Formats: sequence, C-alpha cells, structure tokens
Amino acid sequence: MIRSALTQATEEMAVALRRSAYSTNVKTRQDFSCAFFDRNLRAVAQAFTQPVHLGSFVRHVPYAIGEYGADKLGPGDMILSNDPYGGGVHLNDIALIGPVHYGGQVIGYTACLAHHVDVGGGAPASVGAFREVFQEGVIIPRVKLVKGGEIVRDIFNLVLAQIRSKRETAGDFRAQIAANRTGAARISEIVDRYGLDEFNRYVDELIEYTARRTAAELQKLPHGEFSAEGFVDNDGFTDDVVKLAVKVTINGSGVRFDTTGSARQRRAPVNSTFAQTYSACAYALRALIDKDLPVNDGFYRYVHVEAPEGTVTNCVHPAPVVGGWETHVRLNDLIFLALSDALPEAVCAGTKAMQCHSGFGGEVEPDPLNPVTGAPGARAEYFCFLETLAGGYGGRHASDGPDAVQTHGQNTENAPIEETESNYPVRITRYELVPDSEGAGRFRGGLGLRRDYQFPQQVTFTVLADRDRAGPHGLFGGETGCKSVYAVIDDDKETVLSSKTTIDLAPGRVISYRTSGGGGYGPPGRRDPERVANDVRDGKVSIERALNVYRVVIDPATLAVDTVKTGQLRGGDAQ
Amino acid sequence: MSTKRFRIGVDIGGTFTDGTLVDTDTGDITTSKVLTTPDDPSLGFISAIRRLLSPGSSGTPPDSPDARGARPVSPELVDHVVHATTVATNAIIERKTAPTAFVTTKGFRDMLEIARQIRPSLYDLQFEKPPPLVPRRLCFEVPERLGAKGEVITALDEEATRQVARAIAATGIESVAVCLLHSYRNPAHEQAVGKILAEEIPGVSVSLSSAVVPEFREYFRASTTVINAGVRPIVGRYLTTIEKRLDADGFDCDLLVMQSNGGVYSSAAAIEKPVFMVESGPAAGSVAAAAIGTALGYPDVISFDMGGTTAKASLIRDGRPSVTKDYTVGAAAQSGAGAFGGASGYPVRTPVVDLVEVGAGGGSIGWVDSGGALRVGPHSAGASPGPACYGNGGEEPTITDANLVLGRLDPMYFAGGEIPLDRERAARAIDQHCAQKLGLSVEETAHGIIEIATTAMVNALRLVSVQRGHDPRDFMLVAFGGAGPAHAVRIAEEVGVSRALIPLEPGTASAMGLLSTDIRMESTTTVISRADSLNPGELQDAFSSMESKGAATLREAASAHTGTRFERAIEMRYYGQSFELTVDAPEGEADATWMSAILEKFHASHERAYGFRVDAEPVEVVNLRSTAVGEIRKPGLKPLANVGGDLNAALKSRRPVYFNPQTGFVETPVFDRVRLPAGAKFNGPAIVEEKDSTTVVLPGWRAQVDPYGNLLITR
Repeated sequence: MIRSALTQATEEMAVALRRSAYSTNVKTRQDFSCAFFDRNLRAVAQAFTQPVHLGSFVRHVPYAIGEYGADKLGPGDMILSNDPYGGGVHLNDIALIGPVHYGGQVIGYTACLAHHVDVGGGAPASVGAFREVFQEGVIIPRVKLVKGGEIVRDIFNLVLAQIRSKRETAGDFRAQIAANRTGAARISEIVDRYGLDEFNRYVDELIEYTARRTAAELQKLPHGEFSAEGFVDNDGFTDDVVKLAVKVTINGSGVRFDTTGSARQRRAPVNSTFAQTYSACAYALRALIDKDLPVNDGFYRYVHVEAPEGTVTNCVHPAPVVGGWETHVRLNDLIFLALSDALPEAVCAGTKAMQCHSGFGGEVEPDPLNPVTGAPGARAEYFCFLETLAGGYGGRHASDGPDAVQTHGQNTENAPIEETESNYPVRITRYELVPDSEGAGRFRGGLGLRRDYQFPQQVTFTVLADRDRAGPHGLFGGETGCKSVYAVIDDDKETVLSSKTTIDLAPGRVISYRTSGGGGYGPPGRRDPERVANDVRDGKVSIERALNVYRVVIDPATLAVDTVKTGQLRGGDAQ
Repeated sequence: MSTKRFRIGVDIGGTFTDGTLVDTDTGDITTSKVLTTPDDPSLGFISAIRRLLSPGSSGTPPDSPDARGARPVSPELVDHVVHATTVATNAIIERKTAPTAFVTTKGFRDMLEIARQIRPSLYDLQFEKPPPLVPRRLCFEVPERLGAKGEVITALDEEATRQVARAIAATGIESVAVCLLHSYRNPAHEQAVGKILAEEIPGVSVSLSSAVVPEFREYFRASTTVINAGVRPIVGRYLTTIEKRLDADGFDCDLLVMQSNGGVYSSAAAIEKPVFMVESGPAAGSVAAAAIGTALGYPDVISFDMGGTTAKASLIRDGRPSVTKDYTVGAAAQSGAGAFGGASGYPVRTPVVDLVEVGAGGGSIGWVDSGGALRVGPHSAGASPGPACYGNGGEEPTITDANLVLGRLDPMYFAGGEIPLDRERAARAIDQHCAQKLGLSVEETAHGIIEIATTAMVNALRLVSVQRGHDPRDFMLVAFGGAGPAHAVRIAEEVGVSRALIPLEPGTASAMGLLSTDIRMESTTTVISRADSLNPGELQDAFSSMESKGAATLREAASAHTGTRFERAIEMRYYGQSFELTVDAPEGEADATWMSAILEKFHASHERAYGFRVDAEPVEVVNLRSTAVGEIRKPGLKPLANVGGDLNAALKSRRPVYFNPQTGFVETPVFDRVRLPAGAKFNGPAIVEEKDSTTVVLPGWRAQVDPYGNLLITR
C-alpha cells in the first residue's frame, strides 16, 4: 500500500510540474522526470516520462547531495545542479533536489529534472557543435536556489542572466519548485498515516521486493557474454566515425555492460557522461524483464557498468556533452544487437536511435498577440524553441516496426503545429511520413518522417542529430533503414547539411528534416505479399520497391497482388 | 395531475439493460432489468420500457417499497425518455466505425498516423501504436493554408478540392472528417470544403472540426472530429431505430441522450455530434450521486461506483460532476496517472465527467507475484466463470470470494439468493493460490485481498480529489454499484471521509442519474489573448452570441425542459503556460469588476491545483465556454413509508464476521435493508443486506436510516 502511495506521490509531482510549466519542451513534450529518494539516498519511487532519466537521475541526485552536504540543507531548502561530470548529463537537464523534513529529521529527498529549452551558450536552445563544455551554457555546480521555502534571488538572477528565454525558464523553475513541494507534502502525509518507523520499514521492504523480483527475472535471461560494435556517424567537426563497443555479460548476480573499445572522447559534442551510459544500460535491462516491476535501488543494484574514463562513453572535463544523448541512444541499439542471437524474439532491429534535435531562436519584434514576445512595452525579445523528431522503429520477430515514433530512452511528444505557430515566428510547411524509407524485411522497419520549417524572419537554426551516413541496422536478413537527410531549401535549390550544424537563416528559407526509417527483421523476400500490397495501397511503399526489394508483383490498376507472377519471381520462397 | 407526468430512463450496459420510470406527481419509482441484446440493443431497450409500463413484469422485487402502487402506464403519458448507451464507444473499441475519409491541409496528410509520435509504453520493445482510425489511403489533402491568426496564407483551391471530393466519392465511404490547420480561428475554408463534399458526394455525412470542437492543437481536434465522423452513421441508424420502436409502441415524446459531461441532449443533436456521448453510461452514475447529494443538502460528494470488473470514482462539487477535456477513448486500462497510457487510444477533446477507473471489482482476481507480494487484478473472473464460490469452474480467488470467507456475504442471500455461493470453494481457492505462498491463514489472506483492492480504489478517489486540489475530508462518499456498499466504509476510513451514504437499491442507482439531469448544450470560442489587453465588452459579446445560438438549439431540441439558464466558464492560464484551468464566471455582465473577480478565481484555483500563484504574471484567456442549460424538473426523493418502526423487526440473524487480524471473527448483527424503518440507528459492526447488494458497517462507525431510506454511515 505504501508502494502505491509513494509512486502516486511522484506522479502527482509530475502532473504539477507539467501542467504549471511554461516551456513547450516541458509542458507539451514532457521532457522531465520526478523521483523520491530515501534518507540514505536510495532511489525509492520514480515517475518517469522519459526513460533516459532512468539511471542518470539516480546517479545525479546522490552525488549532488553528497557533494553539497546533506547537513547543509534545512527545511524548505532546494539545490539546483547540472554538473555533467558529477553524475549529471547535458547542461539543459537541470535537477532541483530538496530534503523532506519530518519531525525535525530528514526522511528523504524529492527531486525533479527538466530539460530547459535554453541554458545559454553558443546557439539558441543551447544545442550545437562546440569544442568545450564552457561553450554549451551555464554550469551549475550544486547551488541553493531555494532557502527556507524562498527563492534565493541572487542565484536565480545570476542563472537567468546566462539564459536567452528568461520568461520560460523562470516559469519552469517555479514549476519545478512546485513539483518538489507537492512531493514533499504527499510523502509527509504518508508518514502521518503510517508512522515513521513503519514507513522506513516499508521502504526497505519495497527495495528488497524489487531486488527479489529482479533476481527472479535474471534467471529467465540467457546467461553468457554478448558483444556488438557500431558507430555514431560523425562528431560534428570531423568525418571520422565515432566507434562504440559494448560487451554484455549476464549471470545470476546481474548484468555487466562493458564499453571498453569505444572511441576516445572528442573535442566535439558526442560525448556521453557516465550517467548517460549507465542510463542506457539500465534501460536495456528494464526493457528485457517484467514491465510491471517497480524500479528502485533494488533494481539498480543489478546493473553494473564498466565505462573507461576518457572515452565517449564516460567523458571527463572539459569535454562537450550536449550531444551525449546521441551516443547514449545508439548504445541501446548496439546492446539489443549484441543480444539478438540470444534473444531473437525479445529485441527489435535498429531504430532511429538518435535524439534528432531541431533548435532555433532569434530576436523578434514584440507582437501583441504573441504570448512569448507580446509583453506590453517589450522591446525586441529573444525566443528559443527546441524539439526532437521521431523516426522509424525496428522490425520485430512478429510485427513491423511502427512508423514515426520515438525510440528507446526518448519518448518526447511532438509540439502541435498550431501551438508552435501561435507562439513562435515559424511556419511548419510539411509534416508527413517518408514513403520507401523503411528497412525492408519480413517484418519491415517503420517509416521516417519529414518536417519542414519556414521562417519569415532571420533565425539561428541548429541541427543536432545523426544517421546521415548510414541507416539503422537490419536483423536476420532484414535490410538497413533509409538514412536521414537534413537540408536547407532556398526556392527550389536544396543544400544538404551535416547532422550537427548551426546556421543563420535568411528570411523565407526552409529547413527540411527527413528522419531515418527503422531496420527490417528477416528477409524481405519472405514478407507476406498481402502486407506488401497493403503498404502499396497506403502509399507507404512504391510498386517499384514492392517488385525490386520484396519481389511482390502488384497490379497497378487494382493494387492487388499478382499471385502467379509473384510466385514465379519468388520461386520456392513464395508464401 | 399533469397529462404527461411520467419519465423514463434506460441505461444499456454490457450485461443488463436497466429501466427506470418515475411518476413526477407522486415521486413513485419503478425499475426494470432485462438482458442486453448486443445484436440489436434497441430490442433490450424497448423490452425494458414495456416492463416498466406493464405491472407485474417489473424487475423490482415485490417486497420493495418502490414497487407498491405500480399500475399500467399508458405510453402517451410519458413526457420523455432519457437514454444512456455505449453504442458509440463500442463502435470505437471494436473498431466497427463507419468507413470514413479524412481531409486536411496539404502537407499534413499523416496527422493521424504520426499522432503524438510517442510510444504508449516506455519499456516494451514489442509495443504497437494504435492503428489510425482512418487508413492512409483514405486521407486526402487540399491546397490551402491559414496562419495562426486565421489569416489566409494560401486560398483554398476549390477545383483541386472538387477533384479530391470525387476521389473520395469513388471510395464508397459513408462519412468524411475535415480538419484544416488553424480552422478554430477561421472556419471559412472548412465550410467551403464541406459544401463541395456535400455537392460531390450526395448523402455523405460531413463533420467539420471547426463545428465539432473549435479549439487549437490540430491532432487532438482532428482525432475528435474523426471519431465523430466514424460513429455518426452508426449512432444515426441506432437512434432512428429507437425512435421508430417508441413510435410503434404509441409514445409521443422526446428522446434525450446522455452526454459524457453528465447533461442530456436531443437525439437530433446526438446524431449531429455523437462524439459528445462516448462516456454516456459512466456519466449517469456521477449524476445520480450528485442528485442524491444535492437533494439531501450535500452538494460536495465523491461518487464511488463498484461493479463486477472495475470501480469508478468521480468528484462532485456544488452539485455538479467535475468534467475534463483531457480524455482518451479506446486506451488500455489504466490504474494511475501514467503519462503515456493515453497514447494507446484516441484523444477526444469534448467535456467528459472526470472519472478514474481502476480494475478492482467483485470479480477481480487475487494472486501472488514473483517477488512474493499479494496483488489484486487487473484480471477479472467476469461473469463467467465468475468467482470460485460461484462453482462455475472459476478456480482463482476473487474479491467476492474474500468477502464470503470473511463472513461479509451470506452464501444463501447473494443476488437475493439467486446465486448460491460455495464458501468451501472460495476458501480453497484463496488457500491454494495465495495463502500457502504467503504463509498466512486463509482469513488473513482474504483480508489482505480486500486491503490491496482498497488501496487501488483509494488511489482512484485521491486522483479525483487530492490531485485536483480538493481535500476529500470535505466530501461525502456516495457508494453504489453491486459491490460498492461492501467496501465504502473501509474506503471512507482510508481517505479520511467521515460520512458515507448508501442509496436504496445501490445496484440500479446509477440509472436514476438519467432522470436527474438537465439538457446541456456546450459551445466554445477560442480567444488566446492576454486578459490585460481584452475589453470585457468583447467577451460579453462572444458569450451573448454563443448564448443566443444555445437558446435556439434548446428550442429546436426538445420541449422537455421548463426553464433556460446559461453557464459561463473561461479556460485560462498564466501567459506562456500550455494547460488551462477552467474558472466559472461570476453572474452578471462582463465588465471590469467581473474581470477582476475572474482573475482572482484563476489565481486561487492555480494555487489549489499546483501550490503557487503569481499575481504579477499576466494571465491569458484561451477559450470561452458557454453552456445553455434547459432545466428539467428533478424527481423528489420519496419518503420511506416505514417510519419509527422497530429495528429488531429488521434483524435477520447474527453471524461471525472478520474485520481485521487483531480481533478476528466478531459476532455481528445482520439487518434486512427493506425492513429498516426511517430513523433507525445502530452501531457497527453490522451487515445490511438487500437483494442487489450488501453493506458492511465497520466497528467504530454508526449507521442511520434517513427519512428517504438512504443509509448514512458516519464516524
């Protein structure tokens, strides 16, 4: 009963944060998470909206409190932190952590983390290809933002001064404070009802319960050693691919993930912090066991990560980190590739496996109808916008990869076009699936999507993505998904951009994203011809591709399968 | 005596169709219950009505006080029939919506396929996105574009639109949904497309997003419009059949349909906008609880409805059920505030009674998971095989089995004795599936099953109260449904409510909601403008315009109502936020005083909901909501005839009942509900039995029969 009350407390935090936040990234796209830690800083209950925060958050919070000193935190205090090398991730993800006091003692901590749309640095929305972390924005090394329930103005103002979108960020900080307060109030109510001793006993029991169930789940997984290698396509400054390697060792005592063999860290934005790598590994294990398991310290104790320091999987100061999630999510594709022979029915083929950021901003003339800029009497104001785009999912052993969806640790929503156009000086001119972009297979990958942005005024635009050199891998004879394209269009002239670029755009220019399709699963020649025909009828796969890749003959008049010709073409393979 | 003094309510559920007849002169109520007829629900509908009108065939128990005086009623004496139906919802869930095409702005054909670009479950590599309600081959684009202020950027290409209409005509679909970008600001392009479609496809049903839900956020508006389009032909045929059956039986009365928001609308309006009735059935229960609370002077009520497979909670404030527009149809069952659960279904942006439903009902199964924890649900034994104690082949222990083992249910008086229960089977199921694994006794385990289920239900109550910023202790709990009264007091105890009310015949109480509501026609105008730059006069004009349209609709809609009033609400947020809070507007003309009163209400409700207010921040007005209410006279509560009788006459027996592990079994009096006189008072522990339900009064609580026969249990 206490378990469900605790989970509910963190979910109420999430609701409070989301609904009172200001930035599109938090309020609509749900790029945040909330959690409760016990007095010993063990993760007890988490309300996730984003699995990337699984694992990363549970390293960040204990480290931050340990460094700051638990004894320096009084009732109503909260500390702010985004230090990447101290258990943190990229600078945009700012954690706010506060102790929960009860009867004069600390009984735990509530914490929430939100991806802020801008934290300063070299480009709007704080995304871009930089050489050092100092160019990426404001570094907050654990400072007290709230003291005795009141915002510390000096700190607040100092942080805001570094940031472009001050109104939104100020609003998001207020929402984070409200979320922690909501969580602390709910936890106190639970202790009121059960008493502190009983509460602590149940927290211990809850963690042991998860540990028992995780141990039971581990017994069901194949024990042994499984490896894979892969790449991030480029680092944003050089065309050298960024090598990733992972070895997964499963036995009764847990799962060990070893990234030895991965590239040295780069002076470029593709470096993952240890917490990000840990998060990828925790997600992978979580996805392979019972979905119903409550996640807490009893689960994390079975996740062991060996990531050599100074590599792109555990970077050190002053490596830039803003693109660390690109590396993190690609690592997930590799872990599932490593396990594909041992768990062919559990995994999926290669997915979009990139964050695929689109960030822009600039100065705008105040428009009285515009909620971002229209404050009465306002002069030109800086606006920032960030979103991430979906792509194809990988095919599975008995089903196609879904079209246009977020993958692995990322599950952020799209920003509604009408809301975006009401608030920012941009017009979205296309938002659609990309036909023929799937990795063909017996079960095909999902289609990528296309989103085009046109700007009536000058803006600075950043693409921070990947997959522009190779698409997601297929499995068991399935083909690679289509790679991504990022381009700027001036009238009808299209110029392809690197996947990690910041450019100033003249008014009227269009930026076009076409994201990768998912990898296929099994040979395309074994795909049920009726499924191929269905995709042709929906305009997702062309008749030519049906013929050349799937070896299925479709009658162009009726869009029905020509079974005789298909049988001849496929020979003995025809279904 | 008025000529048309009778009213009828018919609620079609999954298993039963319930009918209720009220005589508005005397307050006499008759009920009927027949099996639902899934192939043609109108058959069950009409047979429930026939049973109401002819004596002796009513489903009301002969010894019920309500059955007295039942005489044949002539159909022409019936003023109106109110109907709650799941026909729209079932069509969506069973994917039997009418073939529908979708038309949108060029460049956005895949709006429905891409949806929100998220996965409904975070860690499931085998997840599926819900299939789009309209396949891609039936999604079409027209060249046109509006800007965010409604200005025309690209004029509608009418010739291209005509070609699209012809292409649609060739597909043979029945219905078309149109959702163009920014049409909530300017409906002209959608209206032009609608006209061309009507010209090119004779007889086609066209739903325009700017007419169905003129609010921004394109995917949500499109999804709502597509659902409207997909169920429209089905609901149209269904309601037409119902009307024919009523005509054939000699009725000359209005047919009204329950909406998801707890109000009713005319069958003509329902055929036009069926998406407003997707939660028709569950809304009736909340309305019933609201009506009972209001009649007794408790306008703030938490409604708790527990049946065989689920329990539902909703909150009623000032006599009105809370409504939400954050609603998803066809989603996987959820038992919490999971942020993405809704992504497994289809969003509907119409007002819906804010219900939280959890998988805890009489048939929910208790089990032990791999970590050694006792769990209950979400699996249910359903009606077949049913709980182990039914002896119909059910092997797994359910909540009903737990209640039986603990002595809370009488094995010989379940469903009035129609279903004999086998206590031995119940005990064996609990022992083999749970108690042995846990190392506990059968009774301790049964008690555990009840407690775990209680937690889930308490969470549901907290979600509708605490999470929305209300303190449940300020509310009265009204519990009904077959299983509700057995668990109400324990839930009240856990939530901190000190007053629980069990209406008479709790199993059919929700059907009374159908006869306790008003006609409600809602309309919305999107404003999106800062409050400090708005002239209250503009708002007054916008409201007045919606109200005159609403009044006209009411006049056309039905003659059932006796008075008309208008409710005004404003959806507001701090300038820069994305989620609106709905604030009821004060009475009177919109002027400066009115505006400042609204702003104060907004700040206060923001503080209640999220724990902070920022008076210095500008506030934005997003939508104006106007509701034209056609008032329908509510049936009064009928006083119980048995006043001041002897409590002992109602005492059926005493039996040992288990309330908690500390005291074990305690000898407990068992009362017969229908023999309890008004004014009777007794202390818990006690059991109160009636045909369709059993009430458990826990130790430490006190029960009292009010003048109308309601059981009021207080602490």
